[in-house]
Amino acid sequence: MSGFARLQLLVYMALRSLWAHKVKSLIVGSLIGFGTMLFVLGTALLDSIEGAIERSVVHSLSGHLQVYSADGKDELAIFGDMTMGGADWGRIDDFAVIDEVISKVDNVEAVVPMGINTAYMTRGSDLERTLGRMREMVRAGQVADARALVPKVKRLVGLLDADLRNQLVIAGEDSAAELKEKLARAERAASDALWATFDSEPLSVLEFLDTRVAPLAGEGRVMFIRYVGTDLGRFAEHFDRLKVVRGEMVPDGRRGILINQKYADRVLKIAAARLLDDLAEAREASIPIEGTAELAAKARRLKTQGGAIELMLDPDDAEALALKLATLLGVETERNGEALDLGVLLELFLTVDDDNAIARHAFFYEQVAPLVDVYPFSVGDVVTIRAWTRNNALKAVNVRVWGTFVFEGLERSELTGAANLLDLMTFRELYGQMTATDRAELEAIRDEVGVEFVGRDNAEDALFGGGDSVEIDIGADDDFDAVAEADLKREKRTMAVSEEFDAEMNRKGLVLNAAIMLEDGDRIAESKAAIAAAAEAAGLKLKVVDWQEASGVLGQLALVVRVILYIAIFIIFAVALVIINNSMLMATMERVREIGTLRAIGAQRGFVMAMFLLETLVLGLIAGGLGALAGAGIVIWLGNVGIPAQNEIMVFIFSGNRLFPTVGAEHLGLGVIIILIVSLVSTWYPARMATRVEPIEAMRGAD
Amino acid sequence: MKPIVELMDVVKEFPLGKVTVRALRGVSLQIGRGEFVAIAGPSGSGKTTLLNQVGCVDTPTRGTVRIDGQSTSELAESALTKLRLHKLGFIFQTFNLVPVLDLAQNVELPLLLKGGLTRGERDRRVREIVDQVGLTEQLGQRPNELSGGQRQRVAIARALVTGPNIVLADEPTANLDSATGEQILDLMERLNRDQETTFIFSTHDSRVMAHARRLVTLVDGKISSDEATEAAA
Repeated sequence: MSGFARLQLLVYMALRSLWAHKVKSLIVGSLIGFGTMLFVLGTALLDSIEGAIERSVVHSLSGHLQVYSADGKDELAIFGDMTMGGADWGRIDDFAVIDEVISKVDNVEAVVPMGINTAYMTRGSDLERTLGRMREMVRAGQVADARALVPKVKRLVGLLDADLRNQLVIAGEDSAAELKEKLARAERAASDALWATFDSEPLSVLEFLDTRVAPLAGEGRVMFIRYVGTDLGRFAEHFDRLKVVRGEMVPDGRRGILINQKYADRVLKIAAARLLDDLAEAREASIPIEGTAELAAKARRLKTQGGAIELMLDPDDAEALALKLATLLGVETERNGEALDLGVLLELFLTVDDDNAIARHAFFYEQVAPLVDVYPFSVGDVVTIRAWTRNNALKAVNVRVWGTFVFEGLERSELTGAANLLDLMTFRELYGQMTATDRAELEAIRDEVGVEFVGRDNAEDALFGGGDSVEIDIGADDDFDAVAEADLKREKRTMAVSEEFDAEMNRKGLVLNAAIMLEDGDRIAESKAAIAAAAEAAGLKLKVVDWQEASGVLGQLALVVRVILYIAIFIIFAVALVIINNSMLMATMERVREIGTLRAIGAQRGFVMAMFLLETLVLGLIAGGLGALAGAGIVIWLGNVGIPAQNEIMVFIFSGNRLFPTVGAEHLGLGVIIILIVSLVSTWYPARMATRVEPIEAMRGAD
Repeated sequence: MKPIVELMDVVKEFPLGKVTVRALRGVSLQIGRGEFVAIAGPSGSGKTTLLNQVGCVDTPTRGTVRIDGQSTSELAESALTKLRLHKLGFIFQTFNLVPVLDLAQNVELPLLLKGGLTRGERDRRVREIVDQVGLTEQLGQRPNELSGGQRQRVAIARALVTGPNIVLADEPTANLDSATGEQILDLMERLNRDQETTFIFSTHDSRVMAHARRLVTLVDGKISSDEATEAAA
């Protein structure tokens, strides 16, 4: 009964004493309050961010867990690493086996096979593509339509001609003869004599151009591409962020690639469009172009893009566009009696500043884009993907682009935007997994073009050691072109596009890694251990990693931020600790007589100790409580309005364009516990000093 | 009758730098229940040191101090504290009230430390003793709202509220004007008579000494005289 009364009295004394020393209480209180607010706010935000990163990572590519071969020398990095696809993650020879084992583990929702690789992609030169279109038209009996493209072909040939002449000027003796021969072919392509036969024998004219002239223009644009080879059906079923925006999903049992919309917009799009996008976006955000070095450089680059656009225009379109541009720009179409050149108009049009960027961007997409190929290929096109197999052989496969997709909520993120999705069969082929027929076929190609097998052991000699039988330059080299031509001509190669396979073929066979989706995502650690155990029991040499490990640096990001936050909070509380300790020590000294009196009239040391501890504790709980509430209030407010993602990395971290953080009881609870600890630790020493005060101190006269 | 306070050959030495100060040089003294004793003597004669020995806030270097038959040298710190709580009451020269507590709370404090009483009982005792010191009207006031005399009355109430055997007062009137000092002494005398509590107080004021029924005079740490006064008659 009186024990409680004594506690009541102590709390009362603590409150009175705090009130009596208002300034001290205010300073210490603000410090504790601020620290607690920061703690609650920080941990709540971090937990929300961690959850968001998890949603981004888990539901876009990694799944909750990833497995890969224990033989791999490098650590799995789903979102890429510094090796540009050269990392060695080992391989899993038969996915069906691990699927069988892992699917049976409790809490596993699905196992999705994967193979990640970096390759490059080509889609032929403008000339090649125009010829292709013409050939299709002729075959479809639309000779007149094909004929309409003749001026364009002539223009492209003209450019080729000019290019060869320039080369001839700077070329040395030994290559002059070769160049002259090439030039002769180009001249023939431009000659009226050839085109005179077009109406009667269009296909043979096209055949000549296709095989003898088009190769002179080189490969066209080469694009690096990172893809995840997977069972696309399974992937789409379990990675629910995947959303096809153009075209369609690759049908089950068909080969094909889905291009990431972000990759298409950031990498594939023609430079003029990309640059305009960037500049207009910056202006939408009111960022000045002049004065922002990066943007100014982009504006300068944009100015030079007119030529590329001009080349892609059909002659009729070019004329119409010139008029529209002249109207837009308010210039005369004629100057000094001469028609103003489209090139000049385009350069003027692409001269963008702070005021016109947004309008030019809009005009470009309304008027220019429909006339040119903004993307190097469109949905339904077939592209050639070339990758180095594990045997250092170059493998080329033609695949159909079925559509483009986004990871919903992560549309702006370049991290998830870099991944394209490829069917597993094509992945395996590009990886270099060969069937017996493949092998025989490869031998045939090697014989045909005289390419030697270059393995790891003799690669250096073969490539750099004077042997000239192997060259791997892309585009310029004849030997290589021969491979490409041989590829293209072979019906079997092109057949790959239409080849079908069944689900079992997809399941059985090589993958590099596999994503595991769990039913309950909160039991990651537990399931990780269970899967590792199951794999070991089945004799599979697998490494099991969680999404954080699998995403490389990215997964550690939250951890890094957390460490920084904890250090900051630690410093604040350390300062609070020192200040509280000091001020309580001062209080002890000031209150020696009071303490002595209490001891003299019969208060035990414990009472004095409790008196001092309670004083800080009460202050800590009041100030810390207010701080925690303030922190929670801020989080709740942020949770309502959302924190906007400033850039594409933040889109990924926030798992969307805005983060809506939440605060939980655990954040407040932990905050209170920390206050208790800080209060008690900081007052421990002064309180002990207070208990040492002798009752005799009360007897000393007033000084 | 057995004495309530018994000092036998008490020596108290303090180290002060390199020299040792001998504050008490062999004091023997017996005080019985209900006595009203003044300890007198010039400054530095050892009055306060003697009082500290009796008050159990200090123990002798040599010799024995017995309070109600219990030797203080044999007791641990916490036992001494308990002894003070149960058998002693203190009145200080500088009043020494707890500034953050009001009058009633200051008086109630020893009862709370003692424990074992209901709120009702505590309230009753506080009212009773505060009434006896004549401060009922000031019950809710804080020390800084009271005059010096009033504060010392509160201190007296606090010292007596637990019903101690002995009340020790170290120069209780030193910080008060003479008229107030008289009133305080009158109060102490009255309480001594009414409650049969032993009062021992130190002073160097002759008017104060005049109230005592027994006067012990100290000079240089020794008792120079111990006699009954006219007031005893």
